[in-house]
Amino acid sequence: MSASTSNETVTPDLSAIARPPQVLNNRGPLWVTDAVCSIVEGKTPLWWYAAISISGTFAAIGGACILYMIITGVGVWGSNSPAFWAWDITNFIFWVSMAHAGSFISAVLFLTRQRWSLSVSRAAEAMTVFAIVCAGVYPAIHIGRVWFVWFLFPVPNNYGMWPNFSSPLLWDVFAVTSYLTVSSLFWFAGMIPDLAVLRDRATTKIRKFCYGVASLGWLGTARQWRHYESMYVVLAGLTSVLVVTVTTIVASDCATSVIPGWHATIFPFYFMVGAVYSGCATVLTLLIPLRALYPQLKDLITPAQLEKVAMLLLMMASCVGYVYVYELFCAWYSGNAFERGAFWERFHGTAAWYAITCLSINLTIPQLFWFKRVRTCLPLVFVLAILCNVGMWFERFMIVTTSLLHDFLPSAWGNFHPSIVDILTATGTLGIFFTLFLLFIRFVPIMSMNELKAVLPGTQPQHGEGH
Amino acid sequence: MSRHLPVAGSLAEPLHAVGARFDTPDALIAAVRSIRAAGYNAVDCYTPYPIHGLAEELKAPKSLISFLVLGGAVTAIALALTMQLVPSSLIYPLVVGGKPVNFSGLPQYVPITVALTLMLGALAAVKGMILLGGMPRLNHPMLAWDLFAKDASRGFFLAVSARDPNFTLEKVTELLETSGAGDITAIHLEPSDDE
Repeated sequence: MSASTSNETVTPDLSAIARPPQVLNNRGPLWVTDAVCSIVEGKTPLWWYAAISISGTFAAIGGACILYMIITGVGVWGSNSPAFWAWDITNFIFWVSMAHAGSFISAVLFLTRQRWSLSVSRAAEAMTVFAIVCAGVYPAIHIGRVWFVWFLFPVPNNYGMWPNFSSPLLWDVFAVTSYLTVSSLFWFAGMIPDLAVLRDRATTKIRKFCYGVASLGWLGTARQWRHYESMYVVLAGLTSVLVVTVTTIVASDCATSVIPGWHATIFPFYFMVGAVYSGCATVLTLLIPLRALYPQLKDLITPAQLEKVAMLLLMMASCVGYVYVYELFCAWYSGNAFERGAFWERFHGTAAWYAITCLSINLTIPQLFWFKRVRTCLPLVFVLAILCNVGMWFERFMIVTTSLLHDFLPSAWGNFHPSIVDILTATGTLGIFFTLFLLFIRFVPIMSMNELKAVLPGTQPQHGEGH
Repeated sequence: MSRHLPVAGSLAEPLHAVGARFDTPDALIAAVRSIRAAGYNAVDCYTPYPIHGLAEELKAPKSLISFLVLGGAVTAIALALTMQLVPSSLIYPLVVGGKPVNFSGLPQYVPITVALTLMLGALAAVKGMILLGGMPRLNHPMLAWDLFAKDASRGFFLAVSARDPNFTLEKVTELLETSGAGDITAIHLEPSDDE
């Protein structure tokens, strides 16, 4: 047997299973450095000023609305009996969930050695941090009397005030605080070597000083790299855990209550898949225009990588679709009149259009990504990704608010109408998000240069003798 | 001085190290091997991205970061459980929502414990990376060398410290030259601004 086969020399065609190139057109490490740094070092483009003045205006209006709400009281919002949680918590969950895709892409895909994610991970992490900042706007202000926000923290005091540690709302405080801390650390620590590159290339004294301080005096010694790599793996591991725990805790806010439509054991999973789904949509929404606006990024953020994000989105959206069906099935199968009533009302009541919009977007639009032609047509992906996020906002609203509109007592059933302050605060968070992202593009390297360079062909020793 | 090396920093100040630049990671690793074989241990390399196997060649010790993270995480668990159990179960036991306040109520303390463990673990990792890596610092003798300060993101640099007990300028320069180094430079300290 072996004799006969050894005569035939079979050269297997490996091209089919080869990894797609990380950087197109055989670009070398020096080109990568120049391309990424040129975004920060070059002249500020006109569109950037236009974009930041629009987003800054929205952010300022949002800030003014928050101030008005603090001065006047929560009555300026549309939230009222029975919907005491409405746009505030909807937006909180919408933003904090969106953050999860960034952690998923940069931590879970890093640990599973999915190299394609290297090009998009920095921007995805930035999205995570900024989305948590937007989410963080709400919990503090929605308590109404914001000057009592310290009641949430275990501050030793002589009033006898102490938080109730068995409340999911307090778990939220800790979950979101730790999520913001860990993801900011992950983002910043990953950026230190790249900030040092900007420091070395800086031409003005101010830039040299700012990037010098920000990079903490990084020199890239072998010892520093050793600790750095060790730290990065640990942080990726911790962040991967956060991907699961934060949404689980946020989901517990609803799931541990007795409200029909909230009280379900599938909620942690439901929130997590929805989170990664909407986050993938945001990553696509941000990166596709970025790639078009900075042509040097075309070789770095390749269509193949964006296609993979779209595939991830499709997978998560299918999980979300499964949960929709499961929830409806459980409501029917439980035989519980209140549970059945809540879901019947969700699709027939005064607020039915929220649920109908949510389902009709989330069950159909992402399924278009089964087609390669759709996934590879970037302008189309951009539009569909925005629609996916619209669908996810409606989903969060459907879960949080429409469940409250219809609980046990028919006399307490009601409806919800957002006030103008609600709407402007929500657009304000969008403004904050985009303002931060625009600052990010302009002032820090949007791509992990050191990670990219380390995996380019020919950048590692060939290990000739002795290995 | 037998050879005329380019000088960085101030000649009036003591010599800090001899630096050299290499074009490829392979050349750098080969040079590290020959220099260590000649008995110099105070060698450091500066690279724009992590080079596989370089730390092993330099006999750098294993990173202690995982132990620091373990320390941070264990501290966080102890802290979180104390913070929650002492007031909620011992000092002011108060049943809310039917959740027990004795030890059978432990599961309700898990979420906050997990969140704090992750947070302090991550803080320990980043702090460890910064402090073990000799950071933060605003300046470094190597930055007196203009070529290095401008081009650290392009080349692969090596420096043999003058504090090495075997250090002689001629010998080290010769070793570096035979291993194909470019831009060999004597790096002196810069005069301090203090006085």
